[in-house]
Amino acid sequence: MAQTAGLIQFSGHQHFRHRLVLSILSGKPVRIDKIRSDDKNPGLRDFEISLLRLLEKVTNGTVIEISVTGTAILLKPGIIAGGALTHDCPLSRSVGYFLEPVVMLAPFAKKPLQLTVRGITTDEHDLSVDLLRTVTLPHLQLFGISDGLELRIKRRGASPGGGGEVQFLCPVVKQVKTLNFVEPGKIKRIRGISHAVRVNPQFSNRMIEAARSVLNRYIPDIYLYSDVYKGEESGKSPGYALSLLAESTTSALHCSEAVSQPGVAPEDIALQASRALLSEIKAGGCVDRQHQSLILLMMVLGSEDVGRCRMGEPTARTIQFLRDVHSFFGTSFKIVSAEPLDKECVQLLYSCYGIGYINANRTLA
Amino acid sequence: MDDRPHKAHRPSKTDKKGKGKEKQHGFNEKAFAPKSGRNADRQGRRNVERDQTRLHVPLVNRTPDSEPPPVIIAIVGPPGVGKTTLLKSLVRRYTKQTLNEVKGPVTVVSGKKRRLTFIECNNDLNSMIDIGKIADLVLLMIDGSYGFEMETFEFLNILQSHGFPKVIGILTHLDLIKKAATLKDTKKALKKRFWTEIYQGAKLFYLSGVLNGRYPDTEIMNLSRFIGVMKFRPLVFRNSHPYLLADRIEDLTPREQVRTSKGKCDRTVTVYGYVRGTNLRLGTKVHIPGVGDLDMKSVTILGDPCPLPDADSEKRRKLSEKKKLLIHAPMSDIGGVMYDKDAVWVNVPGSFTRGNTDVPQGEGEQMVMDLQDAGATLEDVVAQSQIRLFGSSSKHLTVGAPVEDDDDSDGYEDESGDEEEGSDSDSDEAGDDNDGDEDLAPHPQSTGRTSRRDVTRNLPIASTSKLQRANVEYAESDSDLGDEDEDEDMGKRFRMDDGDMVDLPTDEEDMMDVDEEDEDDDEAAPKWKSHLVAKAQAASSNSRRRKDWTKLIYSSQLTPEEVLAGKEEASVDEEEDDDDGEFFRFKNAPRQDEDEELDSSRTVWKEEDLTKWEDEELLDSIRGLFITGSAPADEEGGYEDEEDEDGDFEDLEAGDEAPKPDSEESKAASLAKKKEELKRKFDEQYDDPEASKADFYTEKKDEISRQLQLNNEEFKDVSAETRALVEGYRPGTYVRIELVDVPCEMIENFDPTYPIVVGGLLPAEERFGYVQVRIKRHRWFVKTLKTNDPLIFSLGWRRFQTVPIYSLDDHSIRMRMLKYTPEHMHCYATFYGPVSLPNTGFCAFNSLAADTPGFRVSATGVVLDIDRSVKIVKKLKLTGVPYKIFKNTAFVKDMFSSALEVAKFEGANVRTVSGIRGQVKKGLSKPDGAFRATFEDKVLMSDIIFLRAWYSIQPRKFYNPVTSLLLSEKSQWTGMRLTGQVRREQGIKTPLNVNSTYKKIQRPERRFNPLVIPKKLQAALPYASKPRIMKPQRHQTYMQKRAVVMEPEERKAVALLQQIRALRKDQVARRKEKKTEKKATHQKKVEKEEERKAEKVKERKKEVMRVTGKRSKREAEAEEGRGSKRRKT
Repeated sequence: MAQTAGLIQFSGHQHFRHRLVLSILSGKPVRIDKIRSDDKNPGLRDFEISLLRLLEKVTNGTVIEISVTGTAILLKPGIIAGGALTHDCPLSRSVGYFLEPVVMLAPFAKKPLQLTVRGITTDEHDLSVDLLRTVTLPHLQLFGISDGLELRIKRRGASPGGGGEVQFLCPVVKQVKTLNFVEPGKIKRIRGISHAVRVNPQFSNRMIEAARSVLNRYIPDIYLYSDVYKGEESGKSPGYALSLLAESTTSALHCSEAVSQPGVAPEDIALQASRALLSEIKAGGCVDRQHQSLILLMMVLGSEDVGRCRMGEPTARTIQFLRDVHSFFGTSFKIVSAEPLDKECVQLLYSCYGIGYINANRTLA
Repeated sequence: MDDRPHKAHRPSKTDKKGKGKEKQHGFNEKAFAPKSGRNADRQGRRNVERDQTRLHVPLVNRTPDSEPPPVIIAIVGPPGVGKTTLLKSLVRRYTKQTLNEVKGPVTVVSGKKRRLTFIECNNDLNSMIDIGKIADLVLLMIDGSYGFEMETFEFLNILQSHGFPKVIGILTHLDLIKKAATLKDTKKALKKRFWTEIYQGAKLFYLSGVLNGRYPDTEIMNLSRFIGVMKFRPLVFRNSHPYLLADRIEDLTPREQVRTSKGKCDRTVTVYGYVRGTNLRLGTKVHIPGVGDLDMKSVTILGDPCPLPDADSEKRRKLSEKKKLLIHAPMSDIGGVMYDKDAVWVNVPGSFTRGNTDVPQGEGEQMVMDLQDAGATLEDVVAQSQIRLFGSSSKHLTVGAPVEDDDDSDGYEDESGDEEEGSDSDSDEAGDDNDGDEDLAPHPQSTGRTSRRDVTRNLPIASTSKLQRANVEYAESDSDLGDEDEDEDMGKRFRMDDGDMVDLPTDEEDMMDVDEEDEDDDEAAPKWKSHLVAKAQAASSNSRRRKDWTKLIYSSQLTPEEVLAGKEEASVDEEEDDDDGEFFRFKNAPRQDEDEELDSSRTVWKEEDLTKWEDEELLDSIRGLFITGSAPADEEGGYEDEEDEDGDFEDLEAGDEAPKPDSEESKAASLAKKKEELKRKFDEQYDDPEASKADFYTEKKDEISRQLQLNNEEFKDVSAETRALVEGYRPGTYVRIELVDVPCEMIENFDPTYPIVVGGLLPAEERFGYVQVRIKRHRWFVKTLKTNDPLIFSLGWRRFQTVPIYSLDDHSIRMRMLKYTPEHMHCYATFYGPVSLPNTGFCAFNSLAADTPGFRVSATGVVLDIDRSVKIVKKLKLTGVPYKIFKNTAFVKDMFSSALEVAKFEGANVRTVSGIRGQVKKGLSKPDGAFRATFEDKVLMSDIIFLRAWYSIQPRKFYNPVTSLLLSEKSQWTGMRLTGQVRREQGIKTPLNVNSTYKKIQRPERRFNPLVIPKKLQAALPYASKPRIMKPQRHQTYMQKRAVVMEPEERKAVALLQQIRALRKDQVARRKEKKTEKKATHQKKVEKEEERKAEKVKERKKEVMRVTGKRSKREAEAEEGRGSKRRKT
């Protein structure tokens, strides 16, 4: 059958998510083997299985074959269907792990996606729902995905108990706009959300105080919101976290986050977050490091024009992502220094020629 | 008109000076001023409306303005209408050459900015479909002496559904109409019809007779002028797909393989042509209509065989005569060289003697003679050549030295490539791959050309050998700014044109390579040691030699961690000596802790990265990145105050922050840029802000043009290979596409008169799924279309047969299957097949065969939706009968066969034929499948109870591409036939179901018994309700008993009345007789009249037959003359 042609092979469990996403977007089947084959506990983890289930829900006609040992999977992608869905995430990863790939897929669905995800909303491994809401979604707006794009935090759920619930609403687009974002601008405002659930609400104020002690020297326009959830809405476990966001004059966003750890004072958590933010700002560029691959993906999927974006150096994930994009879409980026004259400049200018990806799933009339 | 005498000239009465009337200069405002306010208003409105109609939706034109591909001009028409003659005349007009034989596309240069590709379309519907999808301009030829033919209309309908290109109608054979009045009338009638088909005012040309095998020069010149100034609007489908009209095709399969497989092996085929539409990328599939989906193995940019005039001739206003001679038609016989699918034919006129220099030799002859002249073997040539491996090498290579194979062939080519231009003229890496193959089977030239033209060459970048390439700095993706030497040594080279990493080094090499890189870093290390403090502050922004990220990412085998670590290692532990063991350890380290690493996009900050922010100095160092902070660069202090006030220019300044103090030029440039920006801002604010704001249309247009400019500029300085890697092959480039696994029949049954279109597919279009379309049966197609009957679709690039299911939206609740397409109405159709983007138009056919009577386009429509599952239902009525009836409850049997089925339908609505509604309640145990149902009224035992259900159906997964190009008889493609067709052809009778035969329905008369009310009950009834049944009267009435005796008077009166009645009767009878007589005479008269009329009709028929006979005779004669078949329609 024509569908099995063009099979793309990978091995290893790493970069699992973006390979699945690229496969679904490009329509090329993907085979991933040697998933933790040398591990004591080989095969797919529960969160990966859960992710596969979620992708199966989001799409229509996807065929997923998992080997007996669980160390190899074959994904024959279907079309992205969207619609109203609910998914319960396992407690081994937070909802950020599941929402990140969905954010990449949802704009190209047949129907607008209304996904309700339950589980841990903030943990130390993945992007928290606050960052997804305040940073990831505005990044999509750069590509013309804006009306009806929303992430509602219904309940918070800290690790390990979880019990949080978020709703992700995403509209459908025909084609993403071409990005031309080369002016990083200067930081004009800093926003933040500090939340505390099932602990003393004073904790969030303490975090705000500490973060201000670092950031106040730079800019007066700092608003750090204290977001306290009570009762049912606060999930099953205690926890608190601070997420920070710096916006530049050209609305480039940089973000950071720190999550409560046992035995660490809230002030220290706040300091961690604000210092991470400063590091992120220092790295510069128009996009922060955690959203590089999202931006690059959308640039590739743009219309058949040159898209440009100025970013910092690619992370290891981004490098692998670029390679995978090349194998799925045949597109490669031109990556040069943002300022060829300036030897000190570490920022890079990523430019690519979009493939003119048109949302074929979208229904006409 | 002409023979009317002209009026005599009357001199003007005013004197010569013109004192009486001042002559108007320029625009006379008064003359056009409206006389009244209302008129002014009306005129104003009309102007505005007219302006709006001029606007079109702004569309990006992907075809570059600078070097556009040739415009495809298709010449379409029924056979014998003069297509070839027109093509020859046009080619003659542009190139002053006469073609003997036209096969395949012919490309000529028509102007300084325009090239034209002419292609003749034969009468096969498949060709018409393919041509309709690619033609930019259609010259639609119509036999003026005959009129429109069915094919013309079919072709127009095909055009309509695939985006309407420009059409110019051309009437020929007008010289056959002798009478001037008839000619005028014919022209008028044809024009009227043509206009209704295209649009009012569509251009229609008239070509009179043929002179010297060509149309009159003046008429052709007029036509060419129209073609020259024609503007083309981008068509949506072509503006989103790359495509190519192959003007040459070549089989690259090793001959040995073909021989051993008896010609049945899959072939490797190259096609040549100009890229059109959007950028063509490697890695995507292409579809050749008539062949199938194919994979591109490689794409090579070739020198333009028919280049536009370049800069030196640009100064002239007109095209120089020499340039006019350019013609590129590899499949036609031009200049004595003709390219076939697997051979090159060199025509030698008359006798040929070698060394006979006084006779001018054609290009082909020269080529063969040059080949014969090559006396030396390859080895000798290498021995004699003076190749230096590197630009810096002092000695050239000697044969004795171990020369790398790659360099060897390159070297040879370098020397002899100029004259040879042979099989490996594409001397890039891909060519080297095929070297072995090509040695086995020497292949013709890779670029088509004519004798009038200079030898075509590949692009300089593509053809320069590796040796020269080593000198190219930076811009090349595989050059590493100084590391080239090592790279070349290692043979480490990423093959850009292949799209995959074929030539990557072995592991060992790789390590050594990195090793060397490391060494480089170590050389730089001492400098570093001096700035240890500074380095500690800016660990990440080290100022060592910049990495080539593109190369590291796309052409190295390093893991991402290694790519990043390669740098970090150098900066962190730079005092460590280059120690192989250590290096290996480092490389392997990440592999070990691979499993611990989570798949997470969140940045994990190291402790030291965060703690370093305790340093005040560091904290202050990034103040410049905030709007409140001052700029870090000292030299810009002068501007700072002003900028801070304004607050608008930070972005500007951040862009060129900290330029090096020594680069005065860059400083000046940035200053100039800033000033420019300021000026622009000022202008914008000073001028009326409303006026400067353009309307939506111009805004969009500006946006598009800006983006196009950016597209052009972004990759200008990049080498051609990298450019192809990053953005694909741009429209307008002449490329050679190597296709693998091509069915051998395509080559074996190759016919140059059938166009070969290579259409690029979007990633979504390679997939299969259920496609929902909105479809409408064509009003000229005589039959209705039936669900599950095969239909041939022309959708996207593809032509395929599939079985659609027609449906209609039933109150937005369900998709309900239709057995047949509705009349004069759109409906939905769902079929399984290759996916096309929503909004793609299509047309459908029941049969593509030429002998199909009537109009062949059976339906047209547009794609609506793509899915992997469909939900179409058809109505299903389950019937049952009551076997026991209570008041409103009945026990029903015969509807289901088991209790389980009943359980599934509990609560379902049922109905009797008479309209009593009810509900299924519960299954009964005894007769299997019986159930209890309640109704709104009592049902009868004779009632039939039915349940209306919906049964979902799936379209059959049937997809049959129309592989017409693979056939030897290309128009004889047959797809899946209908069962009836198969039966008819096999002579099998349709099996007859006895239960389905129609019989006379016999319904017994229903007898209703009289209502009987028991006596007892009657007695109990109240009087008003008692039935009143009266017995018939038995006794005679009083009047019946009496006899009547009349008086004499009375008797008289009665007799009189009787007489009068008798008279009247007689009168009526006579009148009737008279009337019948009259009628008979009238009948006779009418009959006579009719006879006369019939005679007239007979005469007319005779006349018509006579004319037809004459014409067919003429046609037969003409046919003999032309030697071509003409379909009788």
